[in-house]
Amino acid sequence: MVNNKTNETYSIQTINLTKRFTKKRHRGVFGFLRKNQSENKPKEKDNITVALNKVDINIRPGELFGLLGPNGSGKTTMIKCLSTILIPDEGTATINGFDINKETSMVRASLGMVVGGERTLYWKLTARDNLMYFSSLYKMKKQHAKKRIEELLETFKLSDRADERLEDYSTGMRQKVAIARALLHDPPILLLDEPTLGLDPSFSRQIRKQVRELSEKQGKTVLLTTHYMDEADQLCDRVAFINNGNIVAVDTPNRLKAMVKDKELVEIAIYCPPEDVEKHIRSLLPDVEVIKLIPGDESSGTLSRIKIIGETAEENVSAVIDMLRKKNVRIGGLNVGVPTLEDVFIKLTGTKLSEGVMA
Amino acid sequence: MTENAYQQSLLRGNLYVIWNELVKNIKSLLAYPTIIVFWAIFPVFWFIPFILQGQAFVGGLESANFAQITGTGEYIPFIVIGAVLNSYVNTLLYGIGENIRKEAYQGTLDYVLVAPCNQVYVLIGKALSESLSSTIFAVSQLTLSVLLFGMNITLGVILPVFFTIILLILGLYGMALILTAFSLMYKQSYDLSETIGYIFYIFAPVRYPIESLPNWAQILGKLIPLTYALIIVRSLILLGSDLSTVYSEVTLFLIIDVILLVTGFYLFNWMEKKTRKSGTISHY
Repeated sequence: MVNNKTNETYSIQTINLTKRFTKKRHRGVFGFLRKNQSENKPKEKDNITVALNKVDINIRPGELFGLLGPNGSGKTTMIKCLSTILIPDEGTATINGFDINKETSMVRASLGMVVGGERTLYWKLTARDNLMYFSSLYKMKKQHAKKRIEELLETFKLSDRADERLEDYSTGMRQKVAIARALLHDPPILLLDEPTLGLDPSFSRQIRKQVRELSEKQGKTVLLTTHYMDEADQLCDRVAFINNGNIVAVDTPNRLKAMVKDKELVEIAIYCPPEDVEKHIRSLLPDVEVIKLIPGDESSGTLSRIKIIGETAEENVSAVIDMLRKKNVRIGGLNVGVPTLEDVFIKLTGTKLSEGVMA
Repeated sequence: MTENAYQQSLLRGNLYVIWNELVKNIKSLLAYPTIIVFWAIFPVFWFIPFILQGQAFVGGLESANFAQITGTGEYIPFIVIGAVLNSYVNTLLYGIGENIRKEAYQGTLDYVLVAPCNQVYVLIGKALSESLSSTIFAVSQLTLSVLLFGMNITLGVILPVFFTIILLILGLYGMALILTAFSLMYKQSYDLSETIGYIFYIFAPVRYPIESLPNWAQILGKLIPLTYALIIVRSLILLGSDLSTVYSEVTLFLIIDVILLVTGFYLFNWMEKKTRKSGTISHY
């Protein structure tokens, strides 16, 4: 593994990290002929998406840090900038004390990455062949690589099927191989982008346990992105909320939840939410701060949820339930007064964090 | 900073990257067993149209007119050498760009890019694996030519021919780097490589001597590395020359290789940086 450059205070530090993307306008095959025909062309700035906006984050060695945000909030862009796949437009970051713009080789040697899930391995090769190939890209000696691969296969309980092609593996097993690949060169820092996305509950639990152990027992610094608030709550030492490329808040899960502790919180799980349900509740409770419907996916057993935050929310919950019953809405559950990270996110941004719940 | 205790030396590490890339590509290729059938059958059947064509035109496999232009009347060995060397063009030009595109499609490109090794060695490994099928094809074709048509390949010729093929691979590697750079930027290099392949096929003396082309086309043909490879290898095998008699072609060949390699490296690094900046590097 690569040791620290010096005795750095932070394993990961971003300074004004900014990344913008220009959206391409698709004009068709002969679009260039029409280039000057439109007088009301949108200006270039209208086509720019700010994926990361002057992000400042400091992550300490051995910390398990969660980056929480909805889809498209900038989580993956952040990971890709830190791993040198993308070059930031402004600002910089250091990984293990190495600058991502100037010392790319040392940055790359200092981190292991899991981005994109199972579709990032060679499915026509075995798990062992995949790991052997990637060990060579990290210039590991063959004998050492072989020993390390055996250790990792054992750790992830893949030894029995190590010589089977990945096309015969389940999604969860492939994700384990992806994490093993990130650990091959024993890096001090891990960047994990939605590592449990699409996994069944059993594999998700196993992956979360492994991640926790990597931080606690092996002292690795982990930057974990997720949109599962329960996952971040359970695993992370600290959490940052990211929305539209901006860091909205950074703190421990408990301190973040304390931000809404003095608020009244109601969560009602329902089947088949009727149209304009938020508007109907708003007419009943005009003084509450937030009323948000978080759509579920009933086919996978996830109910839709109505979040109500603010004074008078709890005392008026019976009125809301009566209204829902009158509209023949089946109620699946009621939760009063227990704040989650999602409540904090909704309060801070006014937008929902995710459409599902952790598997 | 303390270096990794189990890291390999620079040279050994780079060679190991090339070797593992080669092994990975071969294993992936052999995952589709029908490729073996293609390799076994194609070289044998490939001859048949040329034998029939030659017989229809000149009533046999030798032509006095052909001998007057090329110095050899043997039509089939001339064509075999053209086909063998042109197959390197096909596999290297099409293969590497498509290989990179495939990596982006299957999601593995990001992981190759974030590794601390120099990515150029990964591309060399890809070039070698792409050349492998051409080399199998070349060996089969030449063996059949010796057995069926009495082509004379002496042991003394093998080394200079091998040297010429290396020069050809280097030049094509430079071109492949240029196409890979376009593949990173525009996510499609197939059409461009197909066009270049056809330009090579027409302006380089693959199926006819370069003297058959009009003067302006001959000048164009002499900018193509394949032209020099064909002239040199045919001189060595069919006319019994040695490298000293074709030294001017070898020198020009080397100059073109250097230009292509330098341009290729520059363009690849430039496009890689540009696509990292624009955020499109792993798009497909």
